[in-house]
Amino acid sequence: MEQGTRLEKQGHSLLWILQASSGVLLVILVFLHMIAHHFTAGKLLTYEDVVAYLSNPVVLALETLFLITVTFHALAGVRSVVLDLGLNDDQDRRLTRVLWIAGTLMVIYGIGLTLYITA
Amino acid sequence: MQQELGQRSGWKEVRENWLNTRQRDLGMWAFALNRATGLLLVIYLVVHLAVLSQLAAGPAGYDRFISLMKSPFFLAFDIGLIAVLLYHALNGLRVTLVMLGIGVIQHRLMFWAAMVVSLLALILSTYLIFAT
Repeated sequence: MEQGTRLEKQGHSLLWILQASSGVLLVILVFLHMIAHHFTAGKLLTYEDVVAYLSNPVVLALETLFLITVTFHALAGVRSVVLDLGLNDDQDRRLTRVLWIAGTLMVIYGIGLTLYITA
Repeated sequence: MQQELGQRSGWKEVRENWLNTRQRDLGMWAFALNRATGLLLVIYLVVHLAVLSQLAAGPAGYDRFISLMKSPFFLAFDIGLIAVLLYHALNGLRVTLVMLGIGVIQHRLMFWAAMVVSLLALILSTYLIFAT
């Protein structure tokens, strides 16, 4: 029981560290994303501009990192909010499983869409 | 025990911790607002990913999407979104610093500093959105 509690606490601290560090990383990645996609020196990007931009391997890697980080941060945040409702261990496990599946699907969809439009 | 705790908590917990406006200090308001903005951003993330499927329709789909995004409603929506994003990001950084033991005593000052930076960044973003 004590062992379980200790491991549980370690797990929660690790999750908190991951949540906080992904948040810090996101501040940088969101800033880059906004500059590249939205604040584009007085002109809107055309479809060709977007495809050319995403075809750059460095950009593709950064956008993929952005997608994975934002999905993790968002769904870990949802889990924290739902846990405040006072879930038991079994409900927590089921919720975590559902969020992992949702997150994996979101990342696969995002990467798939990017690869499709740049192909 | 856990089961019992789960039954005792739930909506009562939400009512007492989230919706109770009495005896709340600045930190609790900041925390509640951080969670509320976080939930709004999660909804936006899902909608944003879904809407990006327009890109798969090629240049015609993209142009339709852009002309919709240029409407005054969506420009105003963008500004609201940036306000939510700035609050969540800068208050989140403040919370992270405080949890790491940095600026614990000055956490109120850090909150207001984050709000001033958010406001300035929002004004700049609004200018950039309308300039574009």
